[in-house]
Amino acid sequence: MIFVQSALTGVLVGGLYALMAIGMSLTWGMLRVINLAHFGLILLSAYLTYALATNVGLDPLLTVVATVPVAFLIGVAIQWGFQRFEVSELSSLLVSFGLLIIGIQLISNVWSADFRRMAGDVNPYATGSVAIGPLVFPMPTLIASVAAVALVLLIHLVLARTNVGRALRAFAQDPAIASAFGIDHRRLGVLLAGAAGATAAVAGTLFAIGGSLTPSTAFEWFGVVFAVVILGGIGNVLGTLLAGVLVGGIAGVMTVAWSPVAAPVVVYSLVVLALLFRPNGLLPRRGGPG
Amino acid sequence: MSWRGLAGIGVAVAVLASLPWLRQVFELPTFFLSFGTVVLSWAALATSWNILSGYSGYFSFGQGGFYGVGVYTTAVLTGRHGWDFLPTVPLAGVVAAVLGLFVGLVAFRLRSLRGEVFALLTLAVPFILAPIVRLSPSIDGGQGISVPVPDIPAPLSSFQDLSYLVCLAIAAIAVVVAYVAQRNRLGWALFAIRDAEGVAEGLGVPTFRSKMVAIGITAFIAGLAGGVAAIQVGYVTAEGTFNLQVPLFVIVMSVLGGRLHWLGPAVGALVIVTLRDRLTTSGFEGYSLIVLGAILVVFVVLAPEGLVPRMRRRLVPALVAFGGVFGALWLTGLREDPVDWLALGLLAASVVAFLPGIRRRGTEAALEPVGPEVEAEPMASDAGPMLPPELEATPALAPAAPRPPIVVATDVTKRFGGVRALDGVSLSVHEGELVGLVGPNGSGKTTLVNLLSGLYRPTSGTISVGGVDIGRLPPHRIAHVGVARTYQIPRPFASMTVRDNVAMAIMFGRSRTGLDAARHGAEEHLALVGLEDQADALPGEVNLHERQLLEMARALATRPRVLLLDEALAGLNPVEVDNAVAVVRRIHASGIAIVLVEHLLRVVNQLATRIVVLDQGRTLAEGDPATVMADPAVVRAYLGRRGQEKPAHA
Repeated sequence: MIFVQSALTGVLVGGLYALMAIGMSLTWGMLRVINLAHFGLILLSAYLTYALATNVGLDPLLTVVATVPVAFLIGVAIQWGFQRFEVSELSSLLVSFGLLIIGIQLISNVWSADFRRMAGDVNPYATGSVAIGPLVFPMPTLIASVAAVALVLLIHLVLARTNVGRALRAFAQDPAIASAFGIDHRRLGVLLAGAAGATAAVAGTLFAIGGSLTPSTAFEWFGVVFAVVILGGIGNVLGTLLAGVLVGGIAGVMTVAWSPVAAPVVVYSLVVLALLFRPNGLLPRRGGPG
Repeated sequence: MSWRGLAGIGVAVAVLASLPWLRQVFELPTFFLSFGTVVLSWAALATSWNILSGYSGYFSFGQGGFYGVGVYTTAVLTGRHGWDFLPTVPLAGVVAAVLGLFVGLVAFRLRSLRGEVFALLTLAVPFILAPIVRLSPSIDGGQGISVPVPDIPAPLSSFQDLSYLVCLAIAAIAVVVAYVAQRNRLGWALFAIRDAEGVAEGLGVPTFRSKMVAIGITAFIAGLAGGVAAIQVGYVTAEGTFNLQVPLFVIVMSVLGGRLHWLGPAVGALVIVTLRDRLTTSGFEGYSLIVLGAILVVFVVLAPEGLVPRMRRRLVPALVAFGGVFGALWLTGLREDPVDWLALGLLAASVVAFLPGIRRRGTEAALEPVGPEVEAEPMASDAGPMLPPELEATPALAPAAPRPPIVVATDVTKRFGGVRALDGVSLSVHEGELVGLVGPNGSGKTTLVNLLSGLYRPTSGTISVGGVDIGRLPPHRIAHVGVARTYQIPRPFASMTVRDNVAMAIMFGRSRTGLDAARHGAEEHLALVGLEDQADALPGEVNLHERQLLEMARALATRPRVLLLDEALAGLNPVEVDNAVAVVRRIHASGIAIVLVEHLLRVVNQLATRIVVLDQGRTLAEGDPATVMADPAVVRAYLGRRGQEKPAHA
């Protein structure tokens, strides 16, 4: 029973992983930018949620009214810089690594390197849980995964059904042709990067509701997020969701079956195996980005 | 190889090695030794990282893993098994090298490995190793290992002396290896891999082996540095060892100093360590990572070539700035701490090197490798035998008596998924022939060229060159058998001059040579295609026609038996076409068999001794130009459909 419990909890946590990964996956697949600063945006949003709830008394879920615009603007600014200086894919990895380091250090200077967690009186979601038969699911995990899954599905619909989504997909397939048909790739790129920042903000807020924060948490996300991005297929929205659930479930079981310390071994091994054997992701490829 | 440079390194090492002795004589504080130790150990880590990642462009986050394995090798052997410290250091290097070779074996086997994917694969190394180390009771088991203070060998007086000298030795190894590599075949192979890996392989560069050697060296030296770090840390934990600090620092140091210069990472290490030390002592410790991140961002975007190449271009002003500031602070006593003199001196030199002219935008070619200065004197006088000019006018050799075949392709089929790009094609090319390969778009011409040069492997059928079956050979071995090719869209090594592009091909072609001999030999091939005036230009600075001529010169330089020209005339104006035709004639006249893929039938008719027509992946006709062009099937399939095709040179 403990395996079922931890696998299901892992699956729920996996929804949040998918939300963390979706922004990185989209900007990588469509803009050819590997934005490690994405982890910084998640972290910053989590800290903002913590600070607004603790110091202002805002409901933690409502803090997205602040975190989303902030992360959107930072995402826009970074992408504007990448376009302005025509940064290549590999260089974007290095530049955004530099930005991530700067961000983590700034956060550490403001909030210190100690663990931070919202107190129970400002975070009404922290203590609740839902029992289904013998299984118990903590409230924060449930909220996070429901919100995350809803958001990822919304992104899928936007890309599939709207004109902006079509323009983005056209651009990802062939930037030159798309531009020739009147798609303003610069504006589109900046917009997408901002939207990716917004998903990071929601992910950060949801993470803060359930977990403790320390600046180096950002590095701990590296493994799961890259595993989800690559297993899901770079730029593939539904693939990312599926991969998030899968990685979350596996990591959950490994934590119980072996040791919490061992989960990264499994997750990173998944990254390596995926890169070696399924570099385009688990789902069959339908053309397009990747 | 320049012995002067090695002698310079030797003198520098000797001077640095005397520091422990000087310290005793002048009773300097130990701080200088520990500061020097830190600089040297980072210089070793960054320089070794750069041999793989800077030279070849495959950025690795794995340095932390290699370093960490070194740390734990020494820690376990001295802390748990009572070994002496010194013998564990080389062993730490060996263990790390084994890990490095394993990573390379996994990663470099991937045919479509791109730089970003390699970076992510190596990012996994420290994260996988840390939990394994923590969970293994025989290694760490989660408690950490305390490393005993080693015995101090006789002439040395303190622990600090020992670790300083060991770090100096390791840094010296790293710098000498980087220096030698930059001047020999390994370094040039890595530069070529960075610029255009597939092209390099096709010219005879053993790319897989070069990358494996590089990652082995990188990991070995990082392991050595890790071994020494174990005794400096004293108490080793998995979290403190396997993290992103090492890769972050070596990347920043190398980017700052310059990735294509052997001394770049060492200079970067000196600057960064000095900077961090000053930030810490002035109470700004919390800002050092911010400064590091900012340096990374600014240099990658604005000055990707780094400080050292810039300082070399402005050597005297940079030295004057450093010496002036350093000396002034020393003599005036304005600042008391010598590290301040060093920090401000380095800052002044960096400003002088950096400020004027940040980057000509869009010139990626600014990343030129800095080898020994290219000799300016013209070398045409002592170049090899030139072709007599009258040969230029000689028409293509008539097919006389049948000569032995060089290339024999038998019943070759190539499928991509369900598409048969080539379907049972047989082709032989004899010595002295110039075979024109024509056919409508999509008829399989380029596929055939890619099969002959080893870029693709046949689905079925055999291809032999000079009697050697090339079906399973890697492309660089096929180059050594005697096949060379050009690319439809020229793919020069962008960071090397026109001459060095050709020299690369000589170095790794059928007769391997060193760099100097290859540069010398390049003149002959450049003269043959008429590029001798552009020898010192970068490929980005010459026009399309000249880049196509460069493709030919580079292919010739491998001394091929058969040359595959894949639409080498595409996109040229009529005058340039005439010139290119004359060049192809000269090449043919020098005795090299040629397979010419071309759309311009006028050109093919003029040049070819035999024409092969492909249509929908099959041979439609072959024979002498007049007969083939009169063949009704050819007229129907090729000429008759011409109206529906895109213009050949849109």
